[in-house]
Amino acid sequence: MYRYDTIDKAFVADRAAEFREQVNRRLAGEITEDQFKPIRLLNGLYLQLHAYMLRIAIPYGTLTSKKLRKLAWIAKTYDQGYGHFTTRTNLQLHWIKLADAPDILAHLAEVEMHSMQTSGNTIRNVTADPYAGATADELDDPRVWAEAIRQWSTLHPEFSFLPRKFKIAVTAAAKDRAATRVYDIGLAMRRGRGGELGFEVMVGGGLGRTPYLGATIREFLPTRHLLSYLEAIVRVYNRHGRRDNIWKARIKVLVASLGAEEFARQVEAEWAKSEHERADLPDVELARIRAQFTPQFDKRPARSEALEAAKAADPAFARFLRHNVHPHKAPGYAIVDVSLKTPGQTPGDISSEQMEVVADLAERYSQDELRVNYQQNLLLPHVKLDDVPAVHAALAAAGLATPNMNLISDIIACPGLDYCALANARAIPVAQHIAERFADPERAELIGELKIRISGCINACGHHHVGHVGILGVDKKGEEFYQVTLGGSGENDAALGQMLGPALPADKVAPAIEQMVDVYLRERREGERFLDTFRRTGVAPFKEAVYADAH
Amino acid sequence: MKALSGNLLHDGETVYWRDGQWVPRFKDAELFDDDAAAEAAEARAKSALTVVVDPYLIDVIESDGLWAPLSFRERIRALGPSNHPQHGKQALGGEDIAALQHAHGAARSTGRVALIKRK
Repeated sequence: MYRYDTIDKAFVADRAAEFREQVNRRLAGEITEDQFKPIRLLNGLYLQLHAYMLRIAIPYGTLTSKKLRKLAWIAKTYDQGYGHFTTRTNLQLHWIKLADAPDILAHLAEVEMHSMQTSGNTIRNVTADPYAGATADELDDPRVWAEAIRQWSTLHPEFSFLPRKFKIAVTAAAKDRAATRVYDIGLAMRRGRGGELGFEVMVGGGLGRTPYLGATIREFLPTRHLLSYLEAIVRVYNRHGRRDNIWKARIKVLVASLGAEEFARQVEAEWAKSEHERADLPDVELARIRAQFTPQFDKRPARSEALEAAKAADPAFARFLRHNVHPHKAPGYAIVDVSLKTPGQTPGDISSEQMEVVADLAERYSQDELRVNYQQNLLLPHVKLDDVPAVHAALAAAGLATPNMNLISDIIACPGLDYCALANARAIPVAQHIAERFADPERAELIGELKIRISGCINACGHHHVGHVGILGVDKKGEEFYQVTLGGSGENDAALGQMLGPALPADKVAPAIEQMVDVYLRERREGERFLDTFRRTGVAPFKEAVYADAH
Repeated sequence: MKALSGNLLHDGETVYWRDGQWVPRFKDAELFDDDAAAEAAEARAKSALTVVVDPYLIDVIESDGLWAPLSFRERIRALGPSNHPQHGKQALGGEDIAALQHAHGAARSTGRVALIKRK
């Protein structure tokens, strides 16, 4: 886990102190809202429907127990005792007072956290594979590179006024758990012919009003040139990205209008004329960062008798093992998912008390580390198999052990119109209704992998375009309606969903999901997931099931 | 019919205009049937730079004999988030809250004039 050095510490503390001055000047009327708004946004502070919302950055989704305890304390002290994890692996607090925000930033700085890069037209908080450092299918720990990107991009003077926000995701594993194809830049580590490590560089992905999957502009970029190449990409975007139309300002529109080939040519030309050494990470700095991502594992047997005994004795634990526990690269260890998707609860929400429980478990059982993933769940990356029964029991007691990872009730939902000033419709109650309808774990298991993603507006924070079932809230004459798409994916088989049919009223969404699940169960062949069946049959049988009454 | 709403600068709370003051509950909001008077109140509210951020007029309709914001968005602002009934103004309870919760007859998209939606 990366620890701030003296430069990092001073920088973040200074930033918090600067914001205190700015807030004081705003409250005293020395600066106007128009002057203040960009300042507060660059510190992650939004004004929403009921209060201010503070979005706290969690670089590459990695937290320690100390950080999570601080977040729990802040949520209890300055908010309503809960927080909301987002699809960008950040934490949002929805009931913040402006006058408290400087104190909160100072408290965050004490534990090496901040809220920079969570808003504004800058390079945003970088995300990475949540299994980093724990999975056997990775070539390197992607957090080493994500941390380098974090340091390079934070308040980068050249890139502080981009045409629009800019998001980067990094993975070093074969399986894409970081949704790299829907990022402005997605970086996927590959091994070159000579054994050297490099990145496949994908550019121009994104969701929102105009969704695109990223195009590969370089098959193999040697890792040592990562920062100079990123600089070249962002330079081309900064120069040619549209500033005249907010809906066409993201890099995806530039890449689509130029064509990926021409965009790549311009990036290569820009890169060729830059002094790579000036931007690239010096070996000594890379080594300094790398040294902080070196978890140590005991030599342990690959099989745990304690775990096997608990599995045989407790069907609920056996189910938890099937869905929430994953192989670890070190024998005798596992990756354990913490579900923030208990049916009936708000997806991604966690109370201060639950944060304390997870922090305790991370400290005691997971080398003091935990992760946030873009599915709005947490995970403990390094748990000994012998300890999994105890971890499960503690999570279950706190309502965090729902065995539903990647199942129908593991729904992504943005805060929607319940909180967000941009939303057109609510997302949370739709997710709650669907999850409650499929709360029976046996039935959910029978249905298998089915990823539902819900957004309350076209900005697509809920990733609806890449859901196996995507649900987009729209406003029709003041009433909430929901457009349904099918067949999307944000993983290795990335695809954008296809429209099912006319938008549904709120009370018809959960029944429509039920009807579509029935179609899938009727049509599926051996081994097919919902997504596979949909891709084979096409939309017709699903459409007929949902709209038959209306015909 | 219109009302004037905004969020307090210092804590972001949703508030409503009444005779030059800001009140927390929609039931106490001043209602304008005269556009010129509403716009004059809006201009006056905007001139007080340290009280309310970005005040704006909302449309109001009659629902079962009581007044309610026209749009669903404004009703949620007047009540609080539907996933946490213990948070926001709905936690205060009362007949006015119950009336808003059961209001119907919504007719227009956001209820906010010239709202530019950007993320």
